[in-house]
Amino acid sequence: MNRRKLREAAAGYLFLLPTLLVIGTFLLAPIVYALFLSFHKVQLLGGISYRFIDFDNYVRMGADDRVWIALYNTFEYAIIVVPLQTALAILLAAVLNSKLRGRNAFRILYFLPTVTSSAVLTLIFMWIFKTDGLLNDLLGVFGIQPFNWLGDPKVALKGIMLMNVWSTAPYFMVIYLAALQDIPDSLYEAAEIDGARTLRKFWSITLPLLKPVTFFVVTMGIIGTFQLFDQAYIFSNGSGGPNNSTLTVVLLIYQYAFKNLDMGYAAALAVMLAAVIMLVTVIQRRIFGEEKLN
Amino acid sequence: MKRKGFTILAVMLSLMLIIAGCGGKSNDSSSTGSNSTNNSSNSGNASEGSGGSDSAEQVELTLNGWGASPEEEELLQQTLDEFMKKYPNIKVKYEVIAEQYMDVIKTRLIGGQAGDVFYLDSVEAEALMEQNVLEPLNGYVTDEFDIADFEEPLLNAFKGADGNYYGFPKDFSTLALFYNKKHFEEAGLSGPPTTWEELIEYSKQLTKDGRYGLGVAPELARQMFMIKAYGGEVVDAEGKAAFASPEGLKGLQLVIDQHLVDKTSAQPTEVGAGWGGEMFGQEKVSMVLEGNWAIPYLDNNFPDLEYGTAEVPTVNGQKGTMAFTVAYVMNKQSKHKEEAWKLIEFLTGKEGMEIWTSKGFALPTRKSVAAKLGYDKDEYRSALVAGAAYATPWQAGKYGPVIMNNFNNQFVSAYLGEQSLEDAMKKAQDTSNKEIDAMQ
Repeated sequence: MNRRKLREAAAGYLFLLPTLLVIGTFLLAPIVYALFLSFHKVQLLGGISYRFIDFDNYVRMGADDRVWIALYNTFEYAIIVVPLQTALAILLAAVLNSKLRGRNAFRILYFLPTVTSSAVLTLIFMWIFKTDGLLNDLLGVFGIQPFNWLGDPKVALKGIMLMNVWSTAPYFMVIYLAALQDIPDSLYEAAEIDGARTLRKFWSITLPLLKPVTFFVVTMGIIGTFQLFDQAYIFSNGSGGPNNSTLTVVLLIYQYAFKNLDMGYAAALAVMLAAVIMLVTVIQRRIFGEEKLN
Repeated sequence: MKRKGFTILAVMLSLMLIIAGCGGKSNDSSSTGSNSTNNSSNSGNASEGSGGSDSAEQVELTLNGWGASPEEEELLQQTLDEFMKKYPNIKVKYEVIAEQYMDVIKTRLIGGQAGDVFYLDSVEAEALMEQNVLEPLNGYVTDEFDIADFEEPLLNAFKGADGNYYGFPKDFSTLALFYNKKHFEEAGLSGPPTTWEELIEYSKQLTKDGRYGLGVAPELARQMFMIKAYGGEVVDAEGKAAFASPEGLKGLQLVIDQHLVDKTSAQPTEVGAGWGGEMFGQEKVSMVLEGNWAIPYLDNNFPDLEYGTAEVPTVNGQKGTMAFTVAYVMNKQSKHKEEAWKLIEFLTGKEGMEIWTSKGFALPTRKSVAAKLGYDKDEYRSALVAGAAYATPWQAGKYGPVIMNNFNNQFVSAYLGEQSLEDAMKKAQDTSNKEIDAMQ
């Protein structure tokens, strides 16, 4: 241990300092503050005050029906959207990776929804979802009765699902596309010599080699779906209705924080959501095995 | 080496936390606790507060309100210009909060960024008056201001439990029955229904070709008078939800049955419209209960529509309707209270109100102004003015927003037939009261 090494280390941390400061201010401090809030009853309007209330905020969740509805909705949403968007992403990527005429144009076309702001997308989709809108017209061609997408609790969340699969799948498609280019052609050639057909090659080479990327895509997808907010918010004008059918956990947090100004309880819900996401991610890691991501 | 590195890192991290923690506490706490929340409506909060200049001569006031049609905003600006002409040392900056007005204004009140004077809807008034953020106005009122001139139910909506007035109503509207004259003629009906039984009967005759008799907004703001029609109450004395009583359900059941049994009414989303005025304008329904705001909307967007207005049909033999009103209130933290009062005094005074309500976008809350502008004789507005005498003001106690949210959520579901009205309302009432208890 000499002075030179110490100085080197100090210089290293000096270089890191800006990043550490930014992360500390905008990431770590808020996390600590949220934890602090979650154990307090916070009075905001007319003079700010904090009262320590132990685990009351967490206990309150158990009896709060809306928390369970929100969790149920969020789970339902994640379980339907994540597999769908992942499958669609792989499919699109595989198609666009083949030697297709005009594939660049298709790549751009498919990627466009991802670039659009989700607020704008939601507003446009609300037009499409109207009772006399485009989607119902389209379904009518196949003889399907029109749905009241915006007003019927049974299908309102499905509408948001549809919209989100359509808009996020292309984003993951790009990630898959990049990964597909990394798979060496020699593997496919070897398989061809062994007499493998297209489907077999996809099943035995492409999919296994994409596994780490799939882990990433599914994880990001789950985190994204658990944090669903803006679409549900715009769709229901902030209420989570009709009949709590579009109430997501983050929307509930928003309602408690900014409508009821109950920051303590809202922070506790946020901590709970973070714990749930972490848990789900850990479970996924188990399923996908301990492979390192590169 | 490695160990030392961790020590340094740990020290630095904890230092940073302390610095960040201190900074965070003194700053506005509204932004914390929301790190995982995509709080879109909270962004763009960079309004500079009042008191830009310290000189006693020039004072700049900020007025917060929600957006309205361009014509209305122009008229408000005209009123403000008139005020600034009268008080040349006061400059008023009108700042629009476009979305989720109450969420934003509450957050701004906490952060000390709210305007000196701002709009307050009657339904939110009771909650805010309790929170010690509004300036009581009794001390400012002069005889000349003439409080007795206001319509009393509207004035009382902004009277606190302590007897202080915290705001004065700037305008109001009640609900009236809008009916499509052409449809009525086709169905051979001579005039608008006067009782709810007639309304239900007429609806049956008017419903055809994918068109419905009555357009309904299944929400508390529009249905409260139905709860009261048979003696039900929305909230009890403590401010808790009480609408699921047998009396309350009786009125609401009429609304549900018309939709589910008769199938002669519809809510806007069922016919692809955004609100009652739109579906009425598009002739997807023949009747709708709407307020004064629908009149300029229909004139602008559906100039060929032939319609009339009438008082809301009597339910259980009693007249009833809703009254919606908005007041100007003063921020307790305002640095220019004298000037802020001058603004409120002018805007809700006889002079300012006359300019503001002159074009009929809103109805005056002062009897003298109403008489002067002659709205009680107006073809479309007389029904709305008549309603003021017996209207239920749109207020649901100090926990109004909680009760409203839960009622709306469950009532829609009963309206769609997912559950019985009784179950839905019991659930809404229990959830509301549980939430209210948790808020204590």
